[in-house]
Amino acid sequence: MKFKTIELIAELIEKTRININKVEKFRELSEKELNYRENSENWSVLECIEHLNLYGDFYNPEIRKNIETSHSKPSETFKSGIIGNYFVKTMLPKKKLNKMKTFKDKNPLGSSLNKSVIDRFISQQKEFLELIEKSKNINFANTKTAISISKLIKLKLGDTFRFIIAHNERHVVQAENVIRKASK
Amino acid sequence: MKETQLLIEAIETNNLWEKEIEISRNEYLKVKGSIDTNLYFIIKGSLRIYLIGEYEERTIRFGYQNNFIVSLDSFISEKPSDFYIQAIKKTNLKVITKKRFKDLINSNPEFQNVWTKILEQLILQQLEREKDILTSSPIERYKRVFKRSPQLFQEIPNKYIADYLRMTPETLSRIKKS
Repeated sequence: MKFKTIELIAELIEKTRININKVEKFRELSEKELNYRENSENWSVLECIEHLNLYGDFYNPEIRKNIETSHSKPSETFKSGIIGNYFVKTMLPKKKLNKMKTFKDKNPLGSSLNKSVIDRFISQQKEFLELIEKSKNINFANTKTAISISKLIKLKLGDTFRFIIAHNERHVVQAENVIRKASK
Repeated sequence: MKETQLLIEAIETNNLWEKEIEISRNEYLKVKGSIDTNLYFIIKGSLRIYLIGEYEERTIRFGYQNNFIVSLDSFISEKPSDFYIQAIKKTNLKVITKKRFKDLINSNPEFQNVWTKILEQLILQQLEREKDILTSSPIERYKRVFKRSPQLFQEIPNKYIADYLRMTPETLSRIKKS
């Protein structure tokens, strides 16, 4: 897939805004609702968000490091990579969410969580917007980042951004589903 | 402000609103980095415009019921803007695009006059704001803003007022008591 970089950036920012707004809305729920778990294996709303925070803990510093050390020049277009596309596609939420395997260190199940999880998410997202801003001065394809799920693969920065946002969307939808079930 | 009222009426009669939107408390109308050239009219609720500085947020402006709110830098330059615009409470807005708005303004010299007046008032407000920021005494800053916009203290939570006045919420409540 080929993108106009400026349009891709606008889309990344808008999707991030929507994710932030959806999570801000969770604040209106009680901590009891936010900790509701359908069964012992499924995540609560806060666990969904905490999972994203654990990812953010890895990706924000990783992206920052790569942006700051990059000497590349921005380009008008960005061509996504095959692996990048594949990751984004598998991450995007489908009508009915399929189960995916979670790496143990990114599984928040059973941890004791409160609303500060939401604060942490929002501030990570603001940092993420900051990183998108910084990335305007470098190249989305030549700059590469490591990914949390494999030591062997690196993604183009543009794909890393797309992947992270798709992953955020997936788990925000999952959290919304939990709320729907909890209120039944 | 009767100028705003006049423009609203012109927009209404010509059916120029793009849509109406509702955002909950704490939700964002705009985030950093986006290009937003729309003009928003606040039917109900309030919002704040802020920047994230090196260490903290800095509230620079508020939007109240029956007023316009806009990311003015983006509106003028059509370039990305650093501003966040966040709802302080549940807020309903009407949206008009820059294109439609400009077409309306340019359609009639009277509208152009009105728009110039609004911009002039805005410049005066910005100058007052600049004086605020250059005022070193917190008490003086408080007095200036209180005199200028008593509405602020009725509609906006203390923590945002304190941020706007560049003081801690504790300092603000101490000043208010004295």
